[in-house]
Amino acid sequence: MTGYILRRVVGALVVMWAVATLVFFMLRAVPGDPIAAMLFDAGDAAAVEALKARLGLDQPLVVQYFKWFWLTLQGDFGNSIYGSRVAVSRIITEALPRTLSLACLAFVIAMVIAVPAGLISAIRRNSALDNGVTLFAFLGLAMPDFWLGIMLIIVFAANLQWLPAIGYEPLSAGFGEWLSHLILPAIAIGTPFAAIIARMIRSSMLEVMRTDYITVARSKGLGKRTILLRHAFPNALIPVVTVMGIAVALLMSGAVVVENVFAIKGLGRVLIEGILNRDYPVVQGAILAVSAIFVFANLAVDLLYGVIDPRIRYD
Amino acid sequence: MSHHDHRRTSPIATPTDAARRDLDHALDFDPADPLVGLTREQLSGPQLERRTVLRLLAAAGMLTTAHLLPQTQRRAFAAEGGGTLNAGWSGVGEFTTLDPAQINQVLLFQIASNVLSGLTHIDADLVAQPDLAIDWSPNEDGTEYTFDLREGVTFHNGDAFTADDVIYTFERSRDPAQSIHSSVVENITGIEKLGPHKIAIKLAAPQASLLVKTLERSSGRAMTIVSRGAIESMGLEQYGLTPVGTGPFRITEHQLGQSLTMEKFENYYDPERPKLDRVVIRPIIDAEPLAGAMEAGDIDIIGGNAIPGELIDRFESNPDLTVDIVAQPGFQSLWMNPHREPFKVESFDKPVEELMKEKGFMVRLAIAKAIDRQQFIDQAQFGRGTPAYGTINPAMAFFFDESLAEGGVQTFDVEEARRLLAEAGYPDGEGFPELDLLLIPSQRREGQVIKNMLKRNLNIDVRLDPKDFPVLIEDGDKMNYDLMRLGSGGDFDPDDGLVDWMRTDSKFNGRLRDTDEMPFGYWSDAAVDELIAEQAVTADPEKRRELVREINAITSNKLASAFIYHPADILVYRNTVNFPPESRIPQLVDMDRITLSQG
Repeated sequence: MTGYILRRVVGALVVMWAVATLVFFMLRAVPGDPIAAMLFDAGDAAAVEALKARLGLDQPLVVQYFKWFWLTLQGDFGNSIYGSRVAVSRIITEALPRTLSLACLAFVIAMVIAVPAGLISAIRRNSALDNGVTLFAFLGLAMPDFWLGIMLIIVFAANLQWLPAIGYEPLSAGFGEWLSHLILPAIAIGTPFAAIIARMIRSSMLEVMRTDYITVARSKGLGKRTILLRHAFPNALIPVVTVMGIAVALLMSGAVVVENVFAIKGLGRVLIEGILNRDYPVVQGAILAVSAIFVFANLAVDLLYGVIDPRIRYD
Repeated sequence: MSHHDHRRTSPIATPTDAARRDLDHALDFDPADPLVGLTREQLSGPQLERRTVLRLLAAAGMLTTAHLLPQTQRRAFAAEGGGTLNAGWSGVGEFTTLDPAQINQVLLFQIASNVLSGLTHIDADLVAQPDLAIDWSPNEDGTEYTFDLREGVTFHNGDAFTADDVIYTFERSRDPAQSIHSSVVENITGIEKLGPHKIAIKLAAPQASLLVKTLERSSGRAMTIVSRGAIESMGLEQYGLTPVGTGPFRITEHQLGQSLTMEKFENYYDPERPKLDRVVIRPIIDAEPLAGAMEAGDIDIIGGNAIPGELIDRFESNPDLTVDIVAQPGFQSLWMNPHREPFKVESFDKPVEELMKEKGFMVRLAIAKAIDRQQFIDQAQFGRGTPAYGTINPAMAFFFDESLAEGGVQTFDVEEARRLLAEAGYPDGEGFPELDLLLIPSQRREGQVIKNMLKRNLNIDVRLDPKDFPVLIEDGDKMNYDLMRLGSGGDFDPDDGLVDWMRTDSKFNGRLRDTDEMPFGYWSDAAVDELIAEQAVTADPEKRRELVREINAITSNKLASAFIYHPADILVYRNTVNFPPESRIPQLVDMDRITLSQG
């Protein structure tokens, strides 16, 4: 098991290196000179040259790359080249709790909706309830998250004035404050996610319910509830957990757009701002952080298999 | 239409007797008198008094009751101060820096203007008023100004403000490695300390815009006074997030991209200001969340980039909100690359009549005349703005020339535009190449309106080419475009439009182009270069205005660009916010005089 985890962690680091290297060169291939844009208003060629030299952007690309790689290995992600040149590590450590808060709450909301919805529609297959859940699932999948976010703002913030329209308050400001600012964006991100998971649970449950051991359980007179929750549901979860690993990517990409709508400076917005400003170190740092989350979430999912199904072993 | 038609502020009071007296007095002069009844002291004194400004406007035949209204329509404010003002900054994701040496956007100096001071600060009439300088006088040839500095001023960190801080700020700003504004102070050869609170600023040549531009605390930025002690103890990174100045508010917290909190500076030099205890500013990128936050009461006032046009009608119909519209100091243009067919022009250094015989110039003129400015404003800007025919904007009431709209060559005339296009060899647009219009993604709507107009009026095809700002700037600087949408904001002095945009070596004039292929950028006129240099050193307002108008007319008639509109400056706030008229400086959101009343 330890060997397996070690191998996976090394693999994850290689993936992150590959992603970051790709991003390093792709970003610089994209047209748009960050310094010229930054100093657009100044119109001073000397200032442009001075700044380029100070940021090391006047050096050959390969030199820049190895410098960046060496510093990154030491945990130094550099500083933003824009504005007041804030350290990238600071930008990410400030943004990460916001994105994780949002993703976690979205995940909880999605599960709270998806598990009962999926189970009910599997049990009451082809009933009005099942059709209702299916309709919800299609709607949830069809609605773009940013649009849903805007609708939520219009209804719950602007009209009903129940919840704040924008912003983020950390947990330290109180659970109520934290929750009230996050609930609308979490619903916006969580809804499509809930729709996918509900559909997965439904089809997975239907499949398990057709297996022989469920027939055996039924024939030996076990109660319906025991069959469903003790025998069928845990077995139906394996494919669902697989999808969850992939869905972390969905949550993250949802966060990129929804954070913008709700004015939350999470990793997603860090990325967008970074790309628009051609702020190389920020984009590289943020991509590293996102790929780390993605890679390790998938590792966690793989380890979860063993917990859900004790027959799965990693040696 | 004049921008005053749009003005909607707090309930407009009938002009008081005092205002009528002002008007009578302002008009009471002998037109033959070159100084229109004013003394040399009044014209150059520590500040241009309101009376002086009104007299100058009256002498120019431009004084209207509208100029008097802002001073007379003061509401009865809830006198007591205090409270927290929640502000939303439109169209921005984060306040990248508030260090004046690095500020490159209006939305940033809007905030910095509440935290840092300059030697001067413009008022609502765009006239320089004392800030940290309380008095000044030029020498005979205008090459040296002596300034008396305010005494007893402290920085937010407790350090005392002295002449050394002015010199430190200057030395920092003139160094391109430390400041992006070194070119703003290039005319200053040195600053001499005459005493702890007295300095002399020495100029290479006299400069008319010194007080309104170079020494101004908001748009100027180069001489916005920074704290050496704070920069050295905090480091540049932290100073950029939470700068220390001598302004009415001090920054207590800045969560980059999330919120910025400012609190009342108890030791501000004016004990009457600021009125508020606290201001929290949040950046909000998208239109709908901005509207939602305003309607939900999350925010009380909107600053930052221009509020998306589609929201204004909605805000105006909301009885809880005030929408205050004035002319914005800026211009927006459609630039035509003179080094590309079909609007190629080898040289602009000839009279308009001769240029008129050239095919490239005919095409440029046809395009400029095919754009119905008012319709553009109606469709792309939801009816708000003023048609433009030059860089000089209506917010600079004194310099603005309304006659260009009637007598200039760029006025809208479809028949004439079609005739010109036909004469240039493209009857009914036949054989005309498809043009790429370079713009930023948020200008798509504007681009679509231009595209439709040129198709309908001239039967020529335009393809929109939206690019991120850094790409657009690079293409613009390299002259790598057919058509480009670009303009200027925060133009409080004619120099902002003329020196920065209309000279052969203006900073926006194709500075990264291949000079072997293209001897000039988007435009060059030797006579205009000379006139711009001359107006820049003309201190007499009347004379300067004459020069400015002359230059404005030449750049318009020779088609430096197709000028399209001067944007409207729209401020939206809740009715519980008392925003006094003297703080209504176009494009700024000075909060030191704001009070809150109970909702």
